[in-house]
Amino acid sequence: MQIRFIQGIISTFFLVCLCILYGCNTAPVPPEVAIAETQEHELWRSGADIYAPQEYRLYKQSLRNGKDHLIIEESRFKWFRDYESIQNEFRAVLLSGNNLLNNIQELKRVKLTAIASQISFFQGRIDTLKKLTSLINEGRLSRRQLMSAELLLKEVQRLAAKGKYPEAEKKLKLLPVYTASATEAISPVLNRYANKEQIAKWRKWVNETIETSKEKGIYSVFVSKIDRKLVLYKNGVPYRTYSIGLGKNGFHDKLHAGDLATPEGKYYITKKLPRSRYYKALLINYPNDEDRRQFARARKNGLISSRVGIGGLIEIHGGGTGGMTYGCIAMENNHINELYSLVDAGTPVTIVGAIDFDNIISSTIKDL
Amino acid sequence: MKRLLLSLTVVMAMLVVLTSCAKQPTQEMNDSKAAIDAVLAEGGEKYANEEVKSLNDQLTAAMDEIKVQDGKFFKNYDKAKEILAKVKTSADTLKAEIPARKEKAKNDAIAALDAAKTAVNDAKTMLGKAPKGKGTKADIEAMRADVAGLEAALTEAQGMIDSEDYLAATDKANGAKDKAAEVAEMINQAIAKKK
Repeated sequence: MQIRFIQGIISTFFLVCLCILYGCNTAPVPPEVAIAETQEHELWRSGADIYAPQEYRLYKQSLRNGKDHLIIEESRFKWFRDYESIQNEFRAVLLSGNNLLNNIQELKRVKLTAIASQISFFQGRIDTLKKLTSLINEGRLSRRQLMSAELLLKEVQRLAAKGKYPEAEKKLKLLPVYTASATEAISPVLNRYANKEQIAKWRKWVNETIETSKEKGIYSVFVSKIDRKLVLYKNGVPYRTYSIGLGKNGFHDKLHAGDLATPEGKYYITKKLPRSRYYKALLINYPNDEDRRQFARARKNGLISSRVGIGGLIEIHGGGTGGMTYGCIAMENNHINELYSLVDAGTPVTIVGAIDFDNIISSTIKDL
Repeated sequence: MKRLLLSLTVVMAMLVVLTSCAKQPTQEMNDSKAAIDAVLAEGGEKYANEEVKSLNDQLTAAMDEIKVQDGKFFKNYDKAKEILAKVKTSADTLKAEIPARKEKAKNDAIAALDAAKTAVNDAKTMLGKAPKGKGTKADIEAMRADVAGLEAALTEAQGMIDSEDYLAATDKANGAKDKAAEVAEMINQAIAKKK
């Protein structure tokens, strides 16, 4: 009986122990643990490993340490668990996480501003280059490069809109390649229009032509390629101004046959053609002596094939200014009518690139 | 007394069973890891990045739970096993879904490229109708070069599709399509100006 009683006590004791071990409530895991896990996910989503890899690594290490301490604590008997230090540790993790998140958001805001500024810069450069290519009729390599640049810029915009800033920055780095290539393609033409010595030379020709008009009391013609205008002088005073059209390479100085360039120099009208292919025409004496010397030099230096001639038949003709000439100067029919009636064979014709040092090209290429 | 000793032995034996017999779910751990690796091999990082992160987090949680149990006197890996089973099932499901996502991205890229090709061809056709020869407008000439630039972009987009970079190909093709529409509009304006 006594033994049964003792057995009962022992059994009850173990039963109570088991109940205590498995049934008693201890302090719950601090809520900061779950919040930190959510925070870590948020940091990952915000691109912490990209924007602040070092800080994110440290944050994750702190989180890991906290979790390891939690594991140790959870491994203890429920009676002995104490989450106070764990809670403090996780609070510190949350604080550093919040700071990191704020830093990343600020960094992303700065990046977005920088990308937007770069987009604006490159769009401006592309627009400038497109304007210049239109001005000088350069519609080949440079335009193709500019189109590639514009497409790349669109991709950058799309990536930035999606918040993919590193990818956007990577693509932005490729843009200078295209804009530089486009600039390089047109700079030989453009640089002449920003070269002060060259412009001074052109100005001298024009002044001489105006002086001749004044001294001899005759008409003389001056053509400014950059302004796309033809000015008729009478007795040294501007008498009429007409708009003109040039060819594909109109902004180049003519060097040889088939280069589609418009010659620059001091010429005169050799013949009036009442019925030309392009309405009426005024033939000029291209090539003059200077053109021949230039041609000979270029050939000697191997810049021109021996099979290519110097060319000729450069005219001021009708047909409209919208067309692309092969090196001639095109005018509207009503304008050539008037000019044709006013000038004679022998009238001086001076063709220059520009006469103003601060012309549209020189001022625009300063920004390139 | 004998019965007392017997009872104590039974209780002790039960304790030994409870503390020693529960083993780490090694097989489940390996299976879950392998399932996540399979997702990554299928292109999970590209097509299911968020889900892969979630799976890895769950796996870490399971490992932590195992560590907790490892340190306990009475080990119980049921919860860890449950998480690991869930990870494996989710990973297997995700792996099965990725080819469809990839296929969709591919189809989207192809559709974007087709649309871009049509837009560029339309622009080219319009350029063909533009004034030719000596009367060709300088801006038409420039737009011809623009279209050449667009065609180069289409080739690039095709290359991206061939190398399975479908998302980038879609972006490139969409950009080319938008620009082609702009060029077409400019061609219309140039033709109208000529008339």
